[in-house]
Amino acid sequence: MLEISDLRKHFGGAPGSPGGKQALDGIGFTVRPGEMFGFVGANGAGKSTTMRIVMGVLSPDSGTVTWQGEPLTYAGRQRFGYMPEERGLYQKMRAGEQIEYFGRLHGMSPRQAKKATEDLLERLGLTERRNSTVESLSLGNQQRVQLAVALVHDPELLILDEPFSGLDPIAVDALATVLLERSRGGVPVIFSSHQLELVERLCDSVGIVSAGRMVASGTVEDLRAAEGGTLRVVVRDPAPGWADGLPGQVSVQGDRHVLVTEYGDDQEILRRAMKAGQVEHFGVEQPTLTEIFKEAVA
Amino acid sequence: MNGMMLVARREIATQMRTRAFVIGLLITALVVGGLAFAPKFMGGPDSYTVGTVNSQQLPLEAAAPDMEFEWRSFPDEAAATQAVLDGDVDAVLVDGSKVLTDGQIDTELGVLLQSTHREVKLGAAGVQVQPLQMESVGADTRYQAARTGIAIVLVLVLFMLILGQVMMVAMGVVEEKGSRIVEILLGAVRPWQLLGGKIIGLGVLGLINLGTIVVVGVGASVASGFAADFPPGMPGIVVGVLVWFALGYAFFATLGAALASLVSRQEEVGNVMSPLTMVIMAAYFVAFYSTREPTGTLATVVSWIPPFSSMVMPVRMAATEVPIWEVAASGGLMVLAVLAVLFAGAKVYERAVLRTGARVKLGEVLRAK
Repeated sequence: MLEISDLRKHFGGAPGSPGGKQALDGIGFTVRPGEMFGFVGANGAGKSTTMRIVMGVLSPDSGTVTWQGEPLTYAGRQRFGYMPEERGLYQKMRAGEQIEYFGRLHGMSPRQAKKATEDLLERLGLTERRNSTVESLSLGNQQRVQLAVALVHDPELLILDEPFSGLDPIAVDALATVLLERSRGGVPVIFSSHQLELVERLCDSVGIVSAGRMVASGTVEDLRAAEGGTLRVVVRDPAPGWADGLPGQVSVQGDRHVLVTEYGDDQEILRRAMKAGQVEHFGVEQPTLTEIFKEAVA
Repeated sequence: MNGMMLVARREIATQMRTRAFVIGLLITALVVGGLAFAPKFMGGPDSYTVGTVNSQQLPLEAAAPDMEFEWRSFPDEAAATQAVLDGDVDAVLVDGSKVLTDGQIDTELGVLLQSTHREVKLGAAGVQVQPLQMESVGADTRYQAARTGIAIVLVLVLFMLILGQVMMVAMGVVEEKGSRIVEILLGAVRPWQLLGGKIIGLGVLGLINLGTIVVVGVGASVASGFAADFPPGMPGIVVGVLVWFALGYAFFATLGAALASLVSRQEEVGNVMSPLTMVIMAAYFVAFYSTREPTGTLATVVSWIPPFSSMVMPVRMAATEVPIWEVAASGGLMVLAVLAVLFAGAKVYERAVLRTGARVKLGEVLRAK
C-alpha cells in the first residue's frame, strides 16, 4: 500500500514568497494493492509533481510518502515502474536492447531480462520492431517501448504519467489490457490522464486534484453518490403550469416539456407529471466523470 | 558496482557500433602508421651509389657503418659521365684522384670521400691514424631527435583524446538529462553509478584508441626501421602514457560531467564547458612547449601541478629522462586531485542532473545542503 500524506512543494524561491508557485498544497491519498488509481486534474494542478516526488525525482518541502507502512527509500523505488510525462529513451538504441538494458539495471539476470523483454514485445505488438532504433519508430510505438521499460522488471507499483496521451484506440486498448493484468495481479497502478472516459472505464478509484490539493477522491461510484444524480422527466402535452411549485427547470421542446432537477421528491414529481400528461421519460441520470470533475474543480 | 558496469558496457557497445568510432579509429591508425614511416622519407638519403673508373673502392662502409653504399665500375670516363648525368650514380671516383658529380656533391658524401681517401693514402705511406674518441659530458643526446618526435606526437594524441572523450562524456550527460531518461535511470541506479559507468565506459574507449595508436605506432616503427632510433626505456614511456592518460581523463571527464549536468540542452554544452576546455588548451600549450624544452623551468614546474601534470609529465618522460621518484610523486599528487574532483563532481552531478529547464547555477548547487 502506498500512502501519500500532506505533500507540499513550492517552486521558485522560499515557500510563500511571491513570484513562485505553490505546486502542491497538502495533497494526500492512498493506493491499495491491486487498485487502479486514476489521477485527474487540469494542467498544472500538481499531478506530475506528486508522481515525481513519489519517484524521488523531486523532494517535497514537507509531507511523507510511505510504502508498505515504511518511509519510501531508494531500494523501494527501485522496484517501482515509472513512465515520466516527458518521454525519455535512448534514441539510437534498439527497442529490444533498451527494454532489456533497463531490466538488467533493475537487477535482473541476463536470461530473466531477455525473457521479460520478449514477453512484453509480444504483448505490446512490438516483436517486429525489436531491432529498430527508437528514433525510427512511430510515436505510438515509442510510447509502447516506454511502457515496456516501466514494466520489464515486474514492478511492485506502477506510476505512469499520461500513459495514454497521443495513442490511437488500438494502442490504448493494448496498453489498458496490460495495465489491468498487472493490477489484477495485485500491483497498485497510479496513472494520470485527461481522457476521463478512459479513467472511468479502467479505474477502481479516482483522485481529482486542483491547485495542489485533492478535492475529491474515492471510487467512481462514491463520487457519483456524493454528486447525486439528475432527475429528468419528459411529459407530452401537459396542462400548462403543471410544474408550478416543483423544483428544477422546465424547458419546452415542441409539445414536450422537459423537467430537469437535482433535488426534490421524485415520487411527488412523478405523480404530478402523470396527472399532467403522457410521461415519455422518467429517470435519474448518473453524472459522468467529466461532470464530476468540472463540478469538483469549479 | 554491477549497475555501474552495466552502464559502462552500454556506453562501449553503443559507441563501438557507430560508424564515426570505426572510421575515427581507422584514420588514427593510418595517420600514426604514416608518421612512423615519415623519418625514412624526410631524412637525407642513407644510401649512395658510387662509381669507379680505374680506381680502388674506398672503405666508405667502415667509415660510416649506418649508411649503405653500392659500387659500380665503369670502363671509361665518358661512360661514367653519362651515368652521373643520368642520375644513376651519385659520384664517380676517377683514377683515384678526382670525383665526378652532377653539380655540387652531397656534403656528407663529399666529406666521407675526402677523409677515407686521405686515410687510405696515409695508410699506404705507413702512417697509422687513431680515430678521435667522442665522449659526451652532458646528457645522452643520441636519441634527442627521436625523443622530440615521439613527444610531439604524444602531445597531439593526448590533447585530442582527452578533449574528445571529455566532450563525449559531457554530451552524453546532457543527452540523458535533456531527454529525461535520467529520471527513469535514477529509479534503477544511483547517480554515482550512472556517472561512474559513463566515465569508465568512455574512458575504456579512449584507451582503446590510445592502445591502437601505440600498437600501430610501434608496429609501423619496427617495420620502417624507425624503431632502431627509439630511446631506451620505451616500454616505461608507453606504460606512463597510458597511466597519465587515465588520470588526466578521469579528472577532466568528472569535471566535464559535473558542468554538463548544469544544462539541459546540447547547444549549451559548449558554453558551460568553456572554462574546462580552456584549462585543457593551456595544458596542451605547456606540453607542446615542453617538447622543445623538456628540462626547462616551466616544463619542470608544471609537470608537478595537477591537472597539467597529466599532459606535461608524459611529454617530459618521452622528451627527456625524468627520475622515477619525480614521476611517482607527481603521479601521487594527480591521484589526490582526481579523488577530490570525483568527490565534488559526483555531488554537483547528483544535485543538478534532475533539475531540468534553465541552467542551474554552480554556486547554488555547491551551497545546497
